Amino acid sequence: MERVWVVVLSVWAMLAIVAVLAWMHRPAPAALPQATPQTLVVTGPNGKRRLVVLQAPSAATTHATTMTSVVAG
Amino acid sequence: MNTLRLERLEFAAMGTSCVVAVSAGPREQLRVQCAFEAARAEVDACERVLSRFIPESDLSRLNAAAGEWTQVDVRLVETLRLAVAAREATHGRFDPSVLPALVAAGYDRTFEQLVARPPRTIAGWRGGAAIDIAETGAVRLDRGAAVDLGGIGKGYAAQRALDAMRTAWPTFPGALVGLGGDVQVWGRPPDGGPWRIAVADPRRAGATLAVLRVRAGGVATSGRDVRRFGPNRALHHLIDPATGEPAVRGPLTVTVVAADAARAEAHATALAMSSPEDAIVHVQANPSLSALYVPRDGEPLRLGELPLEASRRVVFAA
Repeated sequence: MERVWVVVLSVWAMLAIVAVLAWMHRPAPAALPQATPQTLVVTGPNGKRRLVVLQAPSAATTHATTMTSVVAG
Repeated sequence: MNTLRLERLEFAAMGTSCVVAVSAGPREQLRVQCAFEAARAEVDACERVLSRFIPESDLSRLNAAAGEWTQVDVRLVETLRLAVAAREATHGRFDPSVLPALVAAGYDRTFEQLVARPPRTIAGWRGGAAIDIAETGAVRLDRGAAVDLGGIGKGYAAQRALDAMRTAWPTFPGALVGLGGDVQVWGRPPDGGPWRIAVADPRRAGATLAVLRVRAGGVATSGRDVRRFGPNRALHHLIDPATGEPAVRGPLTVTVVAADAARAEAHATALAMSSPEDAIVHVQANPSLSALYVPRDGEPLRLGELPLEASRRVVFAA
């Protein structure tokens, strides 16, 4: 009888260890896709051109969007 | 404590979508509704007057009576004055009298009803038809000429709608009207800063190319990225007044910031048919304009003092 209890406890202990290990090695959440930085060629008043890198803009808090007029019913 | 928030109304008008927004406090719902109703009524009125697809519109009557003086609504008179001034300012690259060429190309009915057919050519095409406007509000077109105000009309309607909101609620803190991508702003948004206008990226659907910070005035975008028609959707609605055919040269889109949305739209149309070099010269000659010129390939060009969001750094100077 004692051996039975030892086996049961061992199995439970092993399951607990596996669960802890699985929790510690759970996959990291996928990174959000990063917007590609945009570049602009800026022409100054003297005609010189400069390459400008824009940080990826966030449209989340903009008030409106300008675009070529699309058809809406 | 700032308790303002942006109240918005969106509806379909002039063959596209219209967004009306106003900064308002929590106890100003009645005023907001009055302002929205005034804006919507004005946009509807502009459509009834300026649409070439409504047979009884003032514009349709004017086109049908080309060669004779026709009494028309003040909205059409004002839009035509803006269009004629823009034609002069763009040296004819924006021309409201390209309608016969647009129809010949195949854009002869509302976009939803278009049927793909091969384009026709107009023998001996000549743009720049005379548009005579009398002090009495009567207008006369050259015999055989016809006018399309599809683009500049949206910008004008956005301005009129914003003015109507100010009349309905004279003390409102700020408002915005966007009509098919033509945006007119006045006053301040709820957060107090400039209005933030996103420029849609024509090369990546759903993405934002840049954000503009505008305190007052208008923003408009013109391009050949949408509203394509004809066999294999090979044609676009930007008619080159010099040839009477869809423009060959020019970028994918151009966004212009100007004193108002109608001027922004007219200059955006002109720049959308211009080479980068011509676009640079045009903006330098018109310091009240600034533009974002997005070619099909290569890097976008920033022209003039474009009010871009200040999240940029210069990495290379040529």
